[in-house]
Amino acid sequence: MSTIKPGLSDYLLFNKYRAINLMNIGRMAAKHGPLDMHRDLNQYPWIWDLLEVNSLLKRLVEGRSGNYRKAVAMILGGVIDGVIELLEGIFYRSDRLIIHEDLLPPEIFRAMGLQPFAPELLGILLPMLVPDTMQKYLDAAESEGIPPDICSLPRATIGMALKNVFPEALAIVSSNMPCDGGMSSYTIIARQLNKPAYWVDIPFDFKNERALEYFAGELKDMIAWLEKHTPGRMDWERLKEICEKRNTMAELELDIWDMIRHRPAPMAAEAIWMSHLWFFNINPGYDTSIKLFTDLKDLTQKNLEAKVSAVPHEKYRALLWNPPTLHYIDLMAWAERTYGVSIILDSMSFNRQPFIDTATPDSMLKSLGNIIMQGPMSRHTRGPAEANYFPDIFHMVKHFDLDMVWVAGHIGCKNTQAMSGVLREKCRDAGIPLLVIDYDLMDSRITPKEGIQEQVGNFMENIMKAKRLF
Amino acid sequence: MNKIRYYGGCDVGSTTGKAVILGPEGIVGSSLIPSEIDPEITARLALEKACAAVAGLGNIANLAYLIGTGYGRNEVPFANENISEISCHAMGAFWCDPTIKTIVDIGGQDMKAISVADDGSVREFAMNDKCAAGTGRFFEAMSRIFRMDLDAFSRLSLNARKTIPVTAQCSVFAETEVISLLAKRNPPADIAAGIQNAVAKRCFTLIKRVGLKPRLTVTGGCAKNQGLLVELKRMFQIDIATLAVDPQLIGALGAAILASRKG
Repeated sequence: MSTIKPGLSDYLLFNKYRAINLMNIGRMAAKHGPLDMHRDLNQYPWIWDLLEVNSLLKRLVEGRSGNYRKAVAMILGGVIDGVIELLEGIFYRSDRLIIHEDLLPPEIFRAMGLQPFAPELLGILLPMLVPDTMQKYLDAAESEGIPPDICSLPRATIGMALKNVFPEALAIVSSNMPCDGGMSSYTIIARQLNKPAYWVDIPFDFKNERALEYFAGELKDMIAWLEKHTPGRMDWERLKEICEKRNTMAELELDIWDMIRHRPAPMAAEAIWMSHLWFFNINPGYDTSIKLFTDLKDLTQKNLEAKVSAVPHEKYRALLWNPPTLHYIDLMAWAERTYGVSIILDSMSFNRQPFIDTATPDSMLKSLGNIIMQGPMSRHTRGPAEANYFPDIFHMVKHFDLDMVWVAGHIGCKNTQAMSGVLREKCRDAGIPLLVIDYDLMDSRITPKEGIQEQVGNFMENIMKAKRLF
Repeated sequence: MNKIRYYGGCDVGSTTGKAVILGPEGIVGSSLIPSEIDPEITARLALEKACAAVAGLGNIANLAYLIGTGYGRNEVPFANENISEISCHAMGAFWCDPTIKTIVDIGGQDMKAISVADDGSVREFAMNDKCAAGTGRFFEAMSRIFRMDLDAFSRLSLNARKTIPVTAQCSVFAETEVISLLAKRNPPADIAAGIQNAVAKRCFTLIKRVGLKPRLTVTGGCAKNQGLLVELKRMFQIDIATLAVDPQLIGALGAAILASRKG
């Protein structure tokens, strides 16, 4: 139920993007042909979940209007385009396909002329489309003896590998990040797929020149290994071009972040976090990604100039820490409608080292290494927390004028679970209201969406003294 | 002549329904009844009983303002408003004793730790609502094993000569463990002390999340468990404040106080 009634233009916009999404999926299927499509649907049954994109679109735009609604629909449309491009890579470029762990830079693989595929992205995307879709993979992994207390993202990834729904790849590259579960998953994936695998060693103590040199050396070794095991060859000019375009994306994103500092924010939620999650991690340096961030900046600018708030009744501004609640991804839209909470920024998007020095091959590798080491999941899972974890949270709260911190307390993440107690004390001392949502990233059987709503409701009503807007 | 205004609070819990009526002089009526299957019926019966105790009030419709709380609060259609039981417990305890800063509310199906602000509002809270261990349901199951009613069980541990640790954190496993300990002819009082200790540890963990500030009080049905209070006092190393009002009524009382501020 919502008090915000979309106007005619909002309905038209929704239907426009609905049609575009269906058209793009239909075009891919038609291009692939019925026989090949039938074969690949059997091989990769998760493709069926893509058909739920418009159900996700509906959930994400509910209660949103104008430029905000358009931005969210546009980002989701861009994500679906990216998935289609990935599928076409799987279908038609299997001779160049490699599987890589999601923290390794896709810029390098693209520059080598390889087709990268990060299995984790399915674990991230699919539960957004179909909330309970990963349960069969989680159960498959557990049935094979994978402990149920491992993070559900690598566990689901293992389950997918065991169910044989990953594409045939030439090689696998992974790293020692971000956690034990992630590392162990690639051992099983490599064994299951029976492909050569390479592990990059990311140094634990990452804040010095020696660590940067070391990591750049590791990336060089990875490139040499890939050149030996795949037809990919490093094209440094191509890498420079990709990195420069990525820098353009980062400039645009920083401009948007500057604008969302305003109260009320002209843009929020998926327009901010989903755009970063997909386009910086899966499609960095694409012309389409630059176009999307340019459009997103324009929409944000228009709202700012017209003094239009993304969330019509923005009463509270929140930081989302940890990955968003994947199986209840419309939590933010619900919180906007119910309490006027605007999720301004999130830990997965925030990065203190966004730019790449493209002067030389070495400088590019060092910058890419720095982005990874200083980025989410790396920086925040390594000590000391006093230097890496808490300062980022409190900097974001101050810089973006936030009223509270929401931690998506994924029970499978031992690293961040361990930090919650200390974070409580820090927030208490700083007078910052803190909500830790107990849930599992992709298994709604642990905490269903109603349980998440109840936790948010209890926090908003008891701590923030908020009244429901309907 | 001005008509006297009465305010109602109704706490619809999983095990019991509670109602408190506030008048100009304070609490003028209250009730405590076992919960029915339908929370609306529980609320109506509890309120009717509390209203009947107030001369001249008549029925529920004559209340100037009524607030529903508890897990079944959304099923009280005749309430003017619903407010979370967390806020109501904080307000109820604060009204009884403004020096209360921390509350452990142990109800039939959940346990909460609440940090109370200087104005009786909630500063922080933590709750355990996914597991029966340490709740009223847990004590019911334990007392069944000992073939005792809850009152007798709650006093049993007071006679313990030592505490036999009950390690299981899960109600189901704890039941098995306790049966096994009894079968080995361990003294029931010592086992009961172990059970109280296990629950007190759960409270301790929860309270650590909100930060323990004196004075501390316990509300909810389990606040009547003397053995648990002794164990909590031993564990927290501070006195546990006894409120002047039945601790099981604190949620309904808080709701009535909040209602009186609206009417």
